[in-house]
Amino acid sequence: MSLSYDAIVIGAGTNGLVTAHLLARAGRKVLVLEQATGEPASRDIGWIPPQVIADLSLTKAGLTIDTADPWAAIALEGGGRLELSSNLQRTAEAIGRLSARDAAKWPEFCARMHKVASVLSALYSQPAPDVETTEPGELLRLGLLGLKVKGLGRQGMIDLLRLLPMSVADLLDEWFENDALKAVLGIAGVMHLRQGPRSGATAFNFLHHHVGSPPGVFRLPASNLSHVLAGLPGVEVRRGAQVTRIRVAQGRANGVVLKNGDELAASLVLSSADPRATLLGMLEPGWLDPGFVRAVGNIKCRGVAAQVSLTLAAEPSFKTLSVAPSLNYIERAYDDVKYGRVSANPWLEARANGRQVDVHVQYVPHTISDGKALGDVVVQKLCEHVPGLRESITARFVLTPADLAAQGLTEGQRYHGELTLDQILFMRPVAGWTRYRTPIGGLYLCGAGTHPGGGIAGGAGRLAARQILNDPRL
Amino acid sequence: MATTYDAIVIGGGHNGLVTAAYLGRAGRKVLVLERRERLGGAAVTEEIFPGFKFSMFSYVVSLLRPEIIRDLDLPGHGLHILPLESTVTPMVNGDYFGAWSDHDQTRAELMRHSPKDAEAYDEYGRLMYHMAHAVRPILGMVPPDPTSMSPRDLMGLLKVGKHFRGLGAEQFHALHKLMTMSSADFLDEWFETDVLKATKSASGIIGTFLGPRSPGTAYVLLHHYMGELDGVFRAWGFAKGGTGSVSETIGAAARRFGAEIRASAPVTRVLVKNGRAIGVVLENGDEIRARTVLSSLDPHRTFLQLVEAKELPDDFLGDIKRFTFRGSSGKVNLALGALPNFTCLPGFGPHLRGAMSISPSLEYVERAYDDAKYDEFSREPYMDIVIPSLIDPGMAPPGKHVMSIFVQYAPYHLNGGWTDAKREAFGDAVINALERFAPNIRSCIEHRQVLTPLDIERITGLTEGNIFAGELSLNQLFFLRPAPGYAQYRTPLAGFYQCGSGTHPGGGIMGASGRLAALAALKDGA
Repeated sequence: MSLSYDAIVIGAGTNGLVTAHLLARAGRKVLVLEQATGEPASRDIGWIPPQVIADLSLTKAGLTIDTADPWAAIALEGGGRLELSSNLQRTAEAIGRLSARDAAKWPEFCARMHKVASVLSALYSQPAPDVETTEPGELLRLGLLGLKVKGLGRQGMIDLLRLLPMSVADLLDEWFENDALKAVLGIAGVMHLRQGPRSGATAFNFLHHHVGSPPGVFRLPASNLSHVLAGLPGVEVRRGAQVTRIRVAQGRANGVVLKNGDELAASLVLSSADPRATLLGMLEPGWLDPGFVRAVGNIKCRGVAAQVSLTLAAEPSFKTLSVAPSLNYIERAYDDVKYGRVSANPWLEARANGRQVDVHVQYVPHTISDGKALGDVVVQKLCEHVPGLRESITARFVLTPADLAAQGLTEGQRYHGELTLDQILFMRPVAGWTRYRTPIGGLYLCGAGTHPGGGIAGGAGRLAARQILNDPRL
Repeated sequence: MATTYDAIVIGGGHNGLVTAAYLGRAGRKVLVLERRERLGGAAVTEEIFPGFKFSMFSYVVSLLRPEIIRDLDLPGHGLHILPLESTVTPMVNGDYFGAWSDHDQTRAELMRHSPKDAEAYDEYGRLMYHMAHAVRPILGMVPPDPTSMSPRDLMGLLKVGKHFRGLGAEQFHALHKLMTMSSADFLDEWFETDVLKATKSASGIIGTFLGPRSPGTAYVLLHHYMGELDGVFRAWGFAKGGTGSVSETIGAAARRFGAEIRASAPVTRVLVKNGRAIGVVLENGDEIRARTVLSSLDPHRTFLQLVEAKELPDDFLGDIKRFTFRGSSGKVNLALGALPNFTCLPGFGPHLRGAMSISPSLEYVERAYDDAKYDEFSREPYMDIVIPSLIDPGMAPPGKHVMSIFVQYAPYHLNGGWTDAKREAFGDAVINALERFAPNIRSCIEHRQVLTPLDIERITGLTEGNIFAGELSLNQLFFLRPAPGYAQYRTPLAGFYQCGSGTHPGGGIMGASGRLAALAALKDGA
């Protein structure tokens, strides 16, 4: 077998493709292996860091980012909706119809949150800080980050330090009184997280989902990123090629074995699959020391989000619609999953794209895979607010965490590891292995399970590629 | 107006008394003013029923700082701690899980439940020991203000940074996890025995308004690991004569150093002139002057009740109002005619001399929290039970006993509010839950006292009945306790200081706040 590729990338998601293209542009011969056979996703949800767009000239390649406006519309208990848009004035007016007090606070709230998120945005655009370093360069970088934090000013610094460990419910209770407003904001705090809004550190998850958005927008944008990346020349992408094992010889990765038995050789293997699936599922167990295996096994990635996709006969009356009347409603939905049940009353958020409606549903444990029942509940809940919807549905597709798990995604967690304070920055994917390296030479991670994590399309992929390209030994 | 004092300490709880003792020790003329007729605040012993003495609120001691015990010679004033030897958790299936102060005995017990956990337990114990040692210096440190540019604060920050970096990678990461994880997740990484995890995680929820699965609770786990008695880490014990004797011995030490302590002397207001505290006004109208005034009351009482709003900056008042209390625990004190008989360990045995924990499973504890989340008391609460009279027979008449039951959760803000009927219903829930594991309990009870968070607030003055004088959540610790910029015991008013558990390092019978506040005031020339 000849060494035909410089690098094999496992997974053709956004992170895998960004890594692959950046390596290819640096002159590497790259093969991307994707287990799925179908077309790449037509729509991606996530903030695309500007560096990713610039490095791959994605705008020129046809990237379109859909920042829905209004970015959220929450159904009100007595009928009607509260629409939140990027226009602070218009949003404040809408809030004012429910609470004058909350409306008055909206502009300041948005400014304060945006300021704190700007620190995260800086952190997310570079490798995770190495707080134990003794290297002068890294210490300088830490110092600069420190200055960035100091630059927030007194109020900004206090906000940053105070907010991160808080529950999003406590944060919102400090600012607002209206239940619907708090619920629609609270959703961002529990997105893809097996926690309720009253759990600690959900304020961090809230801020994470604000990074990259303009002030007053607390949802991730949608884009055609996968589609654009798939169309870029320079890398070979093989679909329907499932990697079952990463080959290791003398402690170094030297290729992969496919499900059909084919073996492919390369001096570098990069996996955008989640860390648990990669390190515990694709390697011969003997190559890793028990402490590392334990740390990887301890990565919390409990999937809780399902997606229900509806195809309608005609475009719906809404662009986006959230069903979550109050923080307590979301909290009760979480209580169910704590005890291993699907939420009897889940919160959901629908986004329409033409006649296609994608509904995010929480909480669904990865241990249960009754898609039919879930689909029924979702349609029922939506119909309460969108008359005539049921009759308009021509196709329905349900994707539960269990379905994703069956495809190899550990516990069906889309962010490849929950975004909690113990699993971010220098703790992601596991402490001591934050620079995309693994204990196996030549094997790297480049997916959402690494810094800066899920919800940031291509962020991890770019930083992983740079790590490799900056390594003089490679 | 007769005498003037160098310093007045408002509140005669253990922190106030520690402050007074340290100020007295430095030669200051100190007056302590306590609202109640007795000293101690939440650390009191009271004969609630004739012949039955109770540590009415706080009931075990472990966190009391060794330097305070030394500096104030508390043993010389009569402090005597009797160690608590075990924690036994009855299980629903009739079995039990016991942790004993004897390491080999605990190991044998773990072997019975899971050899894997027995293996992990030693490593876990070592890690927690190191973690507690790593955090301990922080408890004795004045928190630097990260927003400040003053050389002192910058040096302080550097010192904290150096301290943590000095731990080494493995311990630093473990500490990071402890500070950010839920106790359930943290314990899941180590153990498989559910009852073990439940019992350990229960110590992570004490005094918080969080469940064991919520991030932020693992830290409280560590907080309770930090106790030190006679140099033995993580030992818990009873004060002979009840926790009131801790306050009394500190009070005796303060008097020895010349402090004057006045009970039944409620302070209604701090006198302020030109942005400076100059004394206090008592409920009876008396004015007493002093160069320095220190309040050991919680931040709400101190800044929202004792000081007029116009004397304080708006943003500071906003920060204080945001400081949360949310009392979540209650207390049931029982006078017993006979000893309870636990199904899991029938008859008399050493387990009764230790703590009995009603935390049969993680789910049990989590469900107890679920009730509280929606403003109800737990129908099946978590309980930490001790029978002090078995160790200190003077607490009850011969042949009889006192039982102290710490109960969680009982939210301060109960649906519809607390009433006498609700209080009794809460007491009934406690007895019902206990009866499952000790079926004879009902027939043993001669008297029952039920304390809701509202009662705790009414009697001790602790806002919302929070036993830590403010939640011990990460956003209310260290330089954020009680408010950013004012975590160094000083206040916006010159000559006015905070010395209670609402400041770093917070709750438990620790005394550290009182000591650090006294040192801060002395440094300023008090």
